[in-house]
Amino acid sequence: MWPNIQYYCPCLSSANALTPPPPILASSSASFHSLHNLYFCEECDAVRCNRCVSVEVSGYYCPNCLFEVPSASVRAEKNRCARNCFSCPICRATLSVVASDPPDDGTGRPITPLNNVGEGPYLLYCNYCRWDSTEVGITFEKPTGLAGTRWLVHFVSNAYIRVVAIDLSSTAQLQKYEDSAPESLEFERLKEHFEPFLRTSSLSSSTHLLPPTSHHLHTSSATAAASAALSRDIPGISKYNPLSRSRSGRDRTANKDEMAEYKSRVEVGLFGQLGSGGDDADVELLRCTETVGEIAKLEQRWGNSWITSLRMSELRPLRIPLHSKVSKRCPACRHILIKPEQKAQSVRYKIKLAAANYLPALSVGFPQTQAAKRALGKGVEPRNVGVMLAGITNNTFRVALTNPLYDPIQVRLSPQRVTDGRGFQVSLPLTPFSIGAFAEAWEYDDDEDMFGVEDDELGLEVGRGSRDKDARGRTKNVGVLERRANVTVVGGEVNVHRSYRGQVKFNMLVSYTYRSDDPLPSEDGAGTPSRAVVKTPEVKTFSFYTVVDLGPVLSKDDSESR
Amino acid sequence: MPPIRDKFAIHSKAVVCQDVDLKGDITIGPGTVVHPKAAIFALVGPIVIGAGCIIEEAVIIVNRRKDIMRIGDNNLFEIGCRVECPSIGDFNTISTRARVHNTVRMTNHCVVGAQCLVVPAEDETLGEYTCIYGPAADRRIWSGRGQVQEADLRMKHAEYLREMLPKFNRLRRSDGT
Ligand SMILES: [Zn+2]
Ligand SMILES: [Zn+2]
Ligand SMILES: [Zn+2]
Ligand SMILES: [Zn+2]
Repeated sequence: MWPNIQYYCPCLSSANALTPPPPILASSSASFHSLHNLYFCEECDAVRCNRCVSVEVSGYYCPNCLFEVPSASVRAEKNRCARNCFSCPICRATLSVVASDPPDDGTGRPITPLNNVGEGPYLLYCNYCRWDSTEVGITFEKPTGLAGTRWLVHFVSNAYIRVVAIDLSSTAQLQKYEDSAPESLEFERLKEHFEPFLRTSSLSSSTHLLPPTSHHLHTSSATAAASAALSRDIPGISKYNPLSRSRSGRDRTANKDEMAEYKSRVEVGLFGQLGSGGDDADVELLRCTETVGEIAKLEQRWGNSWITSLRMSELRPLRIPLHSKVSKRCPACRHILIKPEQKAQSVRYKIKLAAANYLPALSVGFPQTQAAKRALGKGVEPRNVGVMLAGITNNTFRVALTNPLYDPIQVRLSPQRVTDGRGFQVSLPLTPFSIGAFAEAWEYDDDEDMFGVEDDELGLEVGRGSRDKDARGRTKNVGVLERRANVTVVGGEVNVHRSYRGQVKFNMLVSYTYRSDDPLPSEDGAGTPSRAVVKTPEVKTFSFYTVVDLGPVLSKDDSESR
Repeated sequence: MPPIRDKFAIHSKAVVCQDVDLKGDITIGPGTVVHPKAAIFALVGPIVIGAGCIIEEAVIIVNRRKDIMRIGDNNLFEIGCRVECPSIGDFNTISTRARVHNTVRMTNHCVVGAQCLVVPAEDETLGEYTCIYGPAADRRIWSGRGQVQEADLRMKHAEYLREMLPKFNRLRRSDGT
């Protein structure tokens, strides 16, 4: 989508190169992010993106009942809510527990007035598509999360038992059903088989933990633990080592001696016995299908943990998958960049270092140019075709900069030059200009604050538009066009060579000078190459790269013919 | 087209708020509740609404045909839905922001889900207990389980509204009174 501006995170570039890749490369898009997706580490004085932060789960919860599930039980409950939360197998809506209908007089009106509690048996009911669990033979005696529901949960998690009616009062019977699920049995058997090997290997690997191999100097302990876990020996699979083939061969024999051969419960040829009946049954089902509606759609099946029937009428309710809250850390200094409040009900954050609170927000747009008007007049959104014209020297665009800081800042824009002479040249005001301080809305008592931004508040030279108005009285296109509150709008022009086709997309370095409350940092400029001390100790400069996309170029003929 | 002549017959037991846009020949039955900001337009033929219906805010009901548009009893029209069906039976639910075209006739106990578009090109009658749901307006037939409770809830809902709405809104009366 264009026009737009994205911000650069240097984490993908090698050797601390701060210059972003040329925007014409398709791969460059991975390095650019929209501002609201970025974080800012105060410690490192650097932008961090979702690709380079390290992520930690800080808690699991059910998105429906908002129960916070202790991480110990997450695995046991197979990552799904073990309380009363189910989603509809047909439409994914949340199911509610309802009582059975009382007898009626044939017109849909109850004979006796209904009480609030209702009568059993209870069923799971979808208020949206009107599916209910009796369609697959599930009913239960009590409406709340009692043992009955608990058993139902287990039943559903092994959802391929071919039973029609279940008596939930008989827990022993259900236990039997559950245990007899072939996949479940096979899985348990596999776990049992590998258990001793896993135990010995975790012992041996802890005795000779590999030194961290990461190039990062400040690798976090979490990252180190993760990489150690990844490089741990897996029993039966020797580590790839090209220098010592003989050694790996010895390993294999050693492992062979340790590990007994695994025999599966069912023979390979008999997998048809499993679950929905195997491939042959599926083929048979598809042969007999009369309408597409009989077959469950992909969306209805891919949320399942185990294989389910292809038949729509046999789909079972699913326990709702748990969600997690995560916090993110700076990859270099391990400081937390964002951390949600623990409680599932809360949508607030304990810590939130969003880049939007540090860097000026840039947005790009087009004035109502001739080209845009022409396109609109023909009923074409200029957005869909492009407004940059080839062979025109003054394709105009505007950049609005919004200052999030409580002090005014000085900004300098440096668009990177496109080296190809037959490409395009970008003109923007190159001298610094100011943006007013951010103020909460209630601080504007009257209009005076809205306009009178002190240009020389920082005592620095203030940029003027490169041409305010030329001799013939033409309005200026390049320069500061507008200043109000904490927003400054600057205009720019693109000179597109008449043979150029493609995107007008260029990198732009943005430097801004702000008043800092911190005392001067000690001389460790090596770690923070982007920061330089300017003039007085209280004033600092921060630079970041952006990519500006002004959309595709139109040839003049194209635009005329339209 | 001749100018529309307004003629409203509102049953004395109906609750129709003042701030409702009515056009043409409209009859509203006993116990029916019409919220403020609803619009009922009998552009050509008349509209006859039965008993115990609930018509919520920003609902638009339009009759573009010459024949009478008959809406049965105990139907629920949720906020912002738009209905042009030539006929509607009893105990139907048209959910929030759903849209039902004038080619569709509804029988009884049908449910049109939130935001569903039901706009077939050919005339069509929705069978009893038809349920339309989801972004693709999929259909299935409701077993009818739970309908007694739902009907009971519908009547209590209407009863509550008949009691509460007049406390906060001026009501409209028939032309004669
Ligand atoms: Zn990054
Ligand atoms: Zn839950
Ligand atoms: Zn459903
Ligand atoms: Zn950091």
